[in-house]
Amino acid sequence: MTEQFIWTVALAGLVTLFLKSAFIEGQHYFQLPQWFIDALEFVPPAILCALVIPGIFKGDVGLVREFGNVPIDPKPIAALIAAMTFLATKKTIPTLLAGMASLYLVFWVQI
Amino acid sequence: MTPLLPGIVPFGLIAGFTPVSFGFTWFDAWAGSLLMFAGASQLAAYQLMNESASLWVILLTVAAINLRYLLYSASIAPHLANADRLTRLLAGYGLTDQIYAICHRDYPTHDWDLQERIAYYAGGSFLIWGLWQACTVLGAFVGQIIPVFWSLEFMIPLTFLALALNTLKSRSHQTAAVTGAIVSFAGLTLPYNLGLILGGVAGIIAGVMHQRMRS
Repeated sequence: MTEQFIWTVALAGLVTLFLKSAFIEGQHYFQLPQWFIDALEFVPPAILCALVIPGIFKGDVGLVREFGNVPIDPKPIAALIAAMTFLATKKTIPTLLAGMASLYLVFWVQI
Repeated sequence: MTPLLPGIVPFGLIAGFTPVSFGFTWFDAWAGSLLMFAGASQLAAYQLMNESASLWVILLTVAAINLRYLLYSASIAPHLANADRLTRLLAGYGLTDQIYAICHRDYPTHDWDLQERIAYYAGGSFLIWGLWQACTVLGAFVGQIIPVFWSLEFMIPLTFLALALNTLKSRSHQTAAVTGAIVSFAGLTLPYNLGLILGGVAGIIAGVMHQRMRS
């Protein structure tokens, strides 16, 4: 455990605690403006999608680190199949399983 | 309450084994659960630490994912108004999607005094907290014996994908999501994972603007 890791997680914990207890602690001192509440609606789709992108297009999965590179990166294809699975089933676990299975399959057919 | 618990298990296991698959120790993986106690933002924080993102990008991302707690906090606060300081601080730490959902549902329909409301909140959040910590630690230990080539870390973007697709309630939400993804993609090569922050901000603005134009 490095010093930088401890700081990062501790600060992330503080940020989280601040957001969680902001009103339970300081309800008499401030109120959320309406424009902020309206914008809050769009934070999850925007930030979650923005987060998916580097996870899909950046870096190498364990398979590649272990067995070497393949011509076509299996991550985007696996993510696409996972997305279609979610849209069809609306369930998270089948989505994860379909995504992982596709990742293995798309990697395996290329070696 | 109990129907909400099974959903915590797989998510807690994922939050435990994905950091380990990045090379963190089981204790490092658990540290996020202890200090943050907020699943999706834990996954994001470890993914970004693995990508060597800058501290500010990590904290901004964690804040963005956890912004919803501001709303929960505001909604729960009146019910715990006269509790003492330590109780309120613990209630803040223990706030989760699940405890918010049940308290939001049950507080208005029951004639409870402060002690009963605190007991209800404490019982629920302690159960969730214990289950979450146990699942993360178990997941982290399991992660240590699972070989690297299983690529379990790929479950992080897959989880975000499922969570993101679950938020697409309207055209405006879809606009926010697509914009966030496109800008994040365009900014993939930017330093410090700035593309992620730009994507998030652009997506929020696009969603708000789309909604304003429609109404």
